[in-house]
Amino acid sequence: MNIIIVGTGKVGFSLAEQLVQEKHDVTIVDQREDTLRRASELLDLMAVKGNGVSAVTLREAGAEEADLLVAATNSDEVNMVCCLTAKNMGAKYTIARIRNPEYTDSLTELCQNLKIDMVINPENTAAQEIARLLRFPSAANIETFCRGRVELMGFRLQEGDFLIGKPLYALPPQVKKLSLLFCAADRDGELSIPKGSFVPQAGDKLYMVGRSDSLDQFFRLLGRYAPKVRQVFLLGGGKISVYLAATLEKMGMRLKIVEADEAKCRQISEQFPKATVICGDGTDPDLLETESLTACDAFVALTNQDEDNLIISLYAMQLGLPKVIAKCSRQNYAGIARSAGLDSVVSPKFVTASYILRLVRGMQNSQGSVMNSLHRIADGKAEAMEFTVGPATHHLGVSLKDLKLKHGVLIAVIVRGTEIIIPEGSSILQAGDSVILIAQSGRVLDLNDIYDGDGGAEA
Amino acid sequence: MNWKLVLKVVGRVLLVEAVALVVPMLVALLYGESPMPFLLSIALVAAAGWALSALPTGPQFFTREGFCAVALIWLATGLVGGLPFLFCGQFATPIDCFFESCSGFTTTGATILTDIEALPQGILFWRAFTHWMGGMGVLVLATAVIPSLGIRSRYLAQAETPGPVFSKLVPKQSQTSKILYGMYLALTVAEIVCLKLAGMPLYDCFIHAFSTAGTGGFSNRAASVGAYSSAPIDFIIAIFILLFSINFALYFLLLTRRFREVLASDELRFFLLVVALATLAITVDIRPLYSSMAESFRYALFQVSSIISTTGFATADFALWPQFSQMILILLMFCGACAGSTGGGMKCCRVLLLLRSIRREIRRIIHPQAVEVVKLDGKVVEEDTLHSLLVFMGAYLMAILVAGLVISLDGYSFAVSFSSALTCVSNVGPGLEIVGPSGNFAAFSGLSKLVMSLCMIVGRLEIFPILVLFSPSAWSKL
Repeated sequence: MNIIIVGTGKVGFSLAEQLVQEKHDVTIVDQREDTLRRASELLDLMAVKGNGVSAVTLREAGAEEADLLVAATNSDEVNMVCCLTAKNMGAKYTIARIRNPEYTDSLTELCQNLKIDMVINPENTAAQEIARLLRFPSAANIETFCRGRVELMGFRLQEGDFLIGKPLYALPPQVKKLSLLFCAADRDGELSIPKGSFVPQAGDKLYMVGRSDSLDQFFRLLGRYAPKVRQVFLLGGGKISVYLAATLEKMGMRLKIVEADEAKCRQISEQFPKATVICGDGTDPDLLETESLTACDAFVALTNQDEDNLIISLYAMQLGLPKVIAKCSRQNYAGIARSAGLDSVVSPKFVTASYILRLVRGMQNSQGSVMNSLHRIADGKAEAMEFTVGPATHHLGVSLKDLKLKHGVLIAVIVRGTEIIIPEGSSILQAGDSVILIAQSGRVLDLNDIYDGDGGAEA
Repeated sequence: MNWKLVLKVVGRVLLVEAVALVVPMLVALLYGESPMPFLLSIALVAAAGWALSALPTGPQFFTREGFCAVALIWLATGLVGGLPFLFCGQFATPIDCFFESCSGFTTTGATILTDIEALPQGILFWRAFTHWMGGMGVLVLATAVIPSLGIRSRYLAQAETPGPVFSKLVPKQSQTSKILYGMYLALTVAEIVCLKLAGMPLYDCFIHAFSTAGTGGFSNRAASVGAYSSAPIDFIIAIFILLFSINFALYFLLLTRRFREVLASDELRFFLLVVALATLAITVDIRPLYSSMAESFRYALFQVSSIISTTGFATADFALWPQFSQMILILLMFCGACAGSTGGGMKCCRVLLLLRSIRREIRRIIHPQAVEVVKLDGKVVEEDTLHSLLVFMGAYLMAILVAGLVISLDGYSFAVSFSSALTCVSNVGPGLEIVGPSGNFAAFSGLSKLVMSLCMIVGRLEIFPILVLFSPSAWSKL
């Protein structure tokens, strides 16, 4: 697809990187020569220098034939005008980054008037992601499918867990009868799809997918069921914090927010009268101690500094807080944090890029099947996707054991009406089913991509 | 520096060249000549290419690796391109073979041969074919035909494509390369058809079309294009030479119907203006030598386009023209063709930007507080770009002077030493006096020929890749 990205900041660059990897024709537009040069040196794309609101620049970037335009500059207003201009020129689909909370109320109207097809708000998206993690504190990551009926969770095995040392086929019956499936295992950065003979070890990160209540039950059996989070400690009072605080307050959690800037503190306190707002340096252990950090159920580090967030989160983990989440934009830092045991790391640009990627994938495969959602797990090494089976999907009604699937592709869950099926050899696909697949990144764009060759029965 | 990956890329490009060598072999078979020189070369090149591309490597590939890879690829190309010459036995020394091959791939068109017409047809075809491949770039060819070199190929294309700014036509590099070669091929075929219609033998059509396309200058006739003494052929070649000297990005704009942008191109207008003025001046200057104004225009236009495009075909021996005309031609050698074309020289847009920088400098002296930007095609040129452009021009002149110094060891006149250095760095072909249009480079010593061969590659790659290759910090591990 022809894709134009206006503004190559963090989100724009990260998005461009992933779209180029998926072999799209990407053109980036920016006013800063140095970022353009860097992007075009690192990635196989075309760089156009100029202001995204100028029709001349957009025409030069090929907006007339663009399938998708993403406006992700620093300015909401520039993004809006850019989308409008491009749309009038003939761009098929436009996405604008609009993050000023002031626009939130009139967003629907704005989108209609300005012909914006979709709005992204990285801070809000990240905040929703964090809120989801706080809702299910047992898991390091959590993704939902089929409007929350099916969930995918990742967790790390610790010494002494009953799973360790025994192959998966020998699991105790009370686990076997649960409606869940171990769908991926991350061992020292190597991702695999576990078979029955897989023997879990301490330190492995396991991903499982299944019914929400089964997953809860599993964590209870594991002795890791963390009680509901009631008291949250937020470090930093930026945009993410504000969005997050609003969501968490609705969920009935109590908040303590630490922010160094007094004016910001006043603003937050005005907006969230129930929250305790502290003005001070949140990276100072003394302050954390006086504010009784250990009494909280969860700690979320959201300052602008990745380094501060990670270090202070590790400190909070050491103090024994049940749930610690850090914001970190740099992918390689997040990897280091994971090796130190900090599993819940959220990167706004990564979350936003995944969101758009999902849309692009969906636009690409109009035939065969529709991709409803896409979640990337294990640092983007694998993807969990939800498809709706259409009449054009191949091999409907054939038992799974007779199908040849591509290597590294797993059919994890089939949802048929109200039924949630963990597939066995005799299960079949029917039109109208929702299917959740696990596959290595970029292998599957369409449901028909899962078959090896024609995928036909071997017999 | 990730040498293994650099060598691996070199290996892959060598494989492409092994395939390219099949073409002249078929021509040799067609004319009933021995295919042995080509078979031996193909075997050697393919073996070397295969061995190098099988190297196990890591993925680190950055600008410096890109520059070194380009430099090595061109040196390797020059070496392997000389193999058929070596095996055919008509060349005096291996250095002569290297010189001829470099002259071919860099589209210089200077030759050490004294009797061109005695060579087998297959070898003559290969000489012209090296022009055609070298014109648009060996690497651009490689990125167009190999799906992936296994690296970010942009670094390579950037280092190989002439001009101060590198821009893609479409987002994907491989797609850009394909479009470039598509247009290149179409123009070449058009020229072959035109020349055939004008009455040239078909084999000669191919040779001259390849030479024109690469703006090289090898001919299969001792008297070059002058051998046909046909006005239509002169005009067809002159026009195609000019077409190949224009930035290929403009043709893409034409194809995508963006006519206004083509007309607004400052470089194109400057290039056409220079051609028109030079032609006019020479027409008037050489009028007494020829019988009519039309005839003197025909020779002037052909020579001007042949030199400014750095092709180096000849229809008349300009060494016999008045000094004023010779001086104009020497200046045109410096100037060269447009950026993004197949021509050599410093490139018109650099000269244009230099002139505009000079104008700005003068205004700054008059108005010390004045703030003024330099523009090209209505867009501001970054100060960094201007700065590197001036450094480039300085380095270009230095290269010519240093090469001239070494060549002067052979004891020829200043005009010969200087013009042969200039003609090699600018990839033109003929120089003045004994290296003029009717002369050749056979008389020089081995050292001079090696230096000139290197100069051609230095000029073709626009100086810096070769300098990077020879700078100690590129080799250090830090």
